[in-house]
Amino acid sequence: MNKTFKIAFSLKNTYRVNTILYSLKQIPLIKRILPQELYCDPDLKIFANILSGIWEFIKAFLGKFLYFLLMITLEVSLYRTEAQSAVFLHIFVLLTLIGAWLNTYIFNPTKDKYYGLILLGMDAKEYALTTYAYEMLKILAGYLIFGLLFGRMHGLAVWQCLMLPFAAAGVKMTVVAYSLWDYERTKVAVNENEVGVIGWILIALALAAAYGLPVTGWEIPERASVCVLACWILLGALSVRKIWRFQEYREVYRQILTRHMVQMDEARQSVKRQSEKVIQIDGEVGSSRKGFEYLNEIFIRRHQKILWKSSKRIAGICLGIVCIVVMGIHFLPEWKEIVNHFVLRNLPYFVFIMYFVNRGTGFTNVLFMNCDHSLLTYSFYKRPECILRLFKIRLREIMKVNLLPAAVIGAGLALLLYLSGGTKEPLDYVVLVISILCISMFFSVHYLTIYYLLQPYNAGTEIKSGTYRVVVTGTYFVCYGVMRMDVPTLVFGMGTVVFCVAYCMIACVLVYKLAPKTFRLRA
Amino acid sequence: MRFIIEHLSKHFEKKKVLCDIDFTFESGKIYGLLGRNGAGKTTLFNCLNRDMKADGGEFCLEMDGQRRSVAAEDIGYVLSTPTVPEFLTGREFLKFFIDIHEDKIQDIQGLDTYFDYIGISREDRDKLLKDYSHGMKNKMQMLVNIIARPNVLLLDEPLTSLDVVVAEEMKQLLRGLKEGRIIIFSTHIMDLALDLCDEIVLLNHGVLERVDKSNLNSQEFKEKILSALA
Repeated sequence: MNKTFKIAFSLKNTYRVNTILYSLKQIPLIKRILPQELYCDPDLKIFANILSGIWEFIKAFLGKFLYFLLMITLEVSLYRTEAQSAVFLHIFVLLTLIGAWLNTYIFNPTKDKYYGLILLGMDAKEYALTTYAYEMLKILAGYLIFGLLFGRMHGLAVWQCLMLPFAAAGVKMTVVAYSLWDYERTKVAVNENEVGVIGWILIALALAAAYGLPVTGWEIPERASVCVLACWILLGALSVRKIWRFQEYREVYRQILTRHMVQMDEARQSVKRQSEKVIQIDGEVGSSRKGFEYLNEIFIRRHQKILWKSSKRIAGICLGIVCIVVMGIHFLPEWKEIVNHFVLRNLPYFVFIMYFVNRGTGFTNVLFMNCDHSLLTYSFYKRPECILRLFKIRLREIMKVNLLPAAVIGAGLALLLYLSGGTKEPLDYVVLVISILCISMFFSVHYLTIYYLLQPYNAGTEIKSGTYRVVVTGTYFVCYGVMRMDVPTLVFGMGTVVFCVAYCMIACVLVYKLAPKTFRLRA
Repeated sequence: MRFIIEHLSKHFEKKKVLCDIDFTFESGKIYGLLGRNGAGKTTLFNCLNRDMKADGGEFCLEMDGQRRSVAAEDIGYVLSTPTVPEFLTGREFLKFFIDIHEDKIQDIQGLDTYFDYIGISREDRDKLLKDYSHGMKNKMQMLVNIIARPNVLLLDEPLTSLDVVVAEEMKQLLRGLKEGRIIIFSTHIMDLALDLCDEIVLLNHGVLERVDKSNLNSQEFKEKILSALA
């Protein structure tokens, strides 16, 4: 058993260490300084092992600390009640019950279990018992330390705090024992992640009871909670026998792991199916256009739904919001000042809104999946003049798609400014509309440019470029950062226009210079 | 016409896949490129098609004694898994392809003539390519490569997953195409290579090596290939 545990632990650790090394290799710049024999470099292995150890420690202790702090203590402190210990136990009992169902460990199909049990054929019972015992020990240690710390903070007696770890482990083991008994009866092993609709409803009810009831001034009486904890400890002790004696771990794991792997495979397949599904069969036949314009026209026509429908829907929603605010201004005059101030001071917010409204990533994604993925294998498609020709056509199209909601937002803001009392500076109206249109243009150019310059996909339609991921995530954070700027609309708007125009010019020059070399399928 | 590769090399980290390759292919022949799994056949094709940047070396075409660099349109590349734009119908794809190449294709014919030539039936011509079978997609991919008349046609295991009828049709097609161009056909299946190809070239330990068939019967030739690859 000791040997099985050592192998299981080292397998899990190797998997984690290799994941860390692989992730390091995906980071731009860092990947260049990493040695070529990444997975056998002793120094890097030590480094990754340290990270893996830290991660194990974080999971065991920091995770529990945050759980007690964020999920229980913070909430208890919100309820101004005298019976803090009772509320603490009330939330603990209900959350622990949810956790016992949602996090059984044994019924969680993880990759390391698949490798150990299915591929390497390890002894399933020994594997299950040793790894489960280790998880239970982690729970006992974590809950003991933080149960004592936070329990005492909320006035629990030491003996009550000492009950917490054993009760948590007890209820978890009870659920596992019940599931094993259920398997013996039905021969169906239930993956813990397949909760089902009723399961989610029960969880939602338990959560509502955990956090909602104390608001109404009701919580499970402290004595009742202590009784529940005692029951769990008792049931847990009884469950050990079932878990220990159960003989069909191999069959249980085989069921949940193979089903899980099939689901993962289906998920991969469904990405391809999904992208094929968005192709609409249209009644129209033929086109008067030729060459790339012909290709583009059919592409846009067959992807109307995914490209234009959402753009129209967003424009409609924006129009609706504008109408509601207009009515608000009309019927509630006190809104006027708020709206006026908002429009004149909060243009930076609209960078973030335009970020969400933008269809750039959706457009480039469908471009690759349904068009470039195949055509990039043809040499004519990679000729510089063809790449640039198509870039121009696509830029025009994505700008059109994004312009509709942008025009509604821009015109809507100008209208709201006018109706809410206007401004002394007539230029504000012009800047408002033009800056929103420019932000829209910026996002269109931005996403198409990074698609052409970093073409992140390989032939298997996986994203292979770490730089692309960094740029996309960076875009989000920059937009979020801009939102927090406190600058008058006129100044911000003019700055935005200058920036967007300059960015678009530079981006287009870069595409013209570099795209013929960069717009390739990744190896 | 000759297709000349000189000092072509490519490595992935410390693994040398193509080591200073020198080889000359001649027109009018189908070359069977044989190599073990992971020998670098697809890497070689990717470098020749410029999907992958080689570390060094060059390749060019020699016509009437004059060398010139290889343009994108000189190379046709047919992958083992056919890739066609799924949102177009077969007819639309063909029209688009001919539009793009109209200044280069001599005596353009009607679209249906091409479909008849490759054996795609009338009812399938206006179907979306996403609904084509594997074999039909493969035919479409082959057809556009034939129409473009590339000087060098690279075929990466194109017959492996086709049914026997389509595979035989494709073999006939390739035999009819070889005049005036170079066809390089990569495969794992030795019998297929021996059946279809005029020359056998091995990619082994990063270099290309022609296997001389003279004075050998087919069994001896097979054994010679196997011992060279071992």
